[in-house]
Amino acid sequence: MDSLMVEYRHPIDSRDDGLFLDAEWIPRLSATGRAHEVAVRRLHELMLRAARHQVARMPDAAGLGAARRDEIVHSAADAATVSVLSRLSAFEGRSRFTTWAYKFAILHAGVEVRRAAWRDREIDLSDVPEQRDSDMSSPETYAEVRELAEAVREGIAEALTAHQRRVTIALLVDEVPIDVLAERLNTSRGALYKTLHDSRQRLRAFLSERGFMSARGPKEVNP
Amino acid sequence: MTGHVSLSREAVARLTANTEPWLSCDDCFDQVDAAVEALLGSTVPLAEGFRAHLLGCAACHEEAQSLAALVAEHHDLTAADAVARLDAAVGA
Repeated sequence: MDSLMVEYRHPIDSRDDGLFLDAEWIPRLSATGRAHEVAVRRLHELMLRAARHQVARMPDAAGLGAARRDEIVHSAADAATVSVLSRLSAFEGRSRFTTWAYKFAILHAGVEVRRAAWRDREIDLSDVPEQRDSDMSSPETYAEVRELAEAVREGIAEALTAHQRRVTIALLVDEVPIDVLAERLNTSRGALYKTLHDSRQRLRAFLSERGFMSARGPKEVNP
Repeated sequence: MTGHVSLSREAVARLTANTEPWLSCDDCFDQVDAAVEALLGSTVPLAEGFRAHLLGCAACHEEAQSLAALVAEHHDLTAADAVARLDAAVGA
């Protein structure tokens, strides 16, 4: 009798992640009328799930309060839905559609949380690094790391431009989130990362000339 | 520009990280979905540029971790295992 049974599936029934089969997303989102509306609603639900997931993972979100976190989740899901819909033609099927779409919600939620968490915090764009005593396992380790740190400080002062110094210290020493610094400096994550990349190259060259770098990295930090 | 900043051991490691070969944040974003799925679904290592970028960009790394955790169940992994696999591949 089993062979005579036919599974009934409504055209917009939930499957796969509680949503559509992966291959159904693009045609449904590209359709018109009711099918499109249903697909967009499902996409928004997917984006809400991913945004909620991202916000829940971020320690910085804990101090924002439940109401602000919820605002961010919905704002990020809205923005991600628009991003996905405007980029459907860019989806090449190299991953599941859902994985591809999730990354937009994760990005929007991540950026919003970082900016919200730092909204009332001043950023001191220092360009003068200072040696700090750190926990070291032995006097030898302490001396080695201190020597390297001093060389890095010299490298920052001598090998980097003023802009590279400020960006690099803010991002890598003070640990200001890159999206926050990008907003304050009216630039982009990508532009700041390029500055960071160039700074690291210059620092590594500076340290290499002084015998501090092995082929894999700084000798004293990663022996 | 007025204050002094400190160089901890961790900061020195971040400052001297080797982020070659170059990959931009935009290219990282383009690749992250396929890269994470490939990593979780096989033993294929991350492309070197992608790996180096995640090592050098805390925000992109955090978002890749989040994506790995979110899709972990598709690969019969827990979220923690998926993130651990990504971090091991990055060398973080």
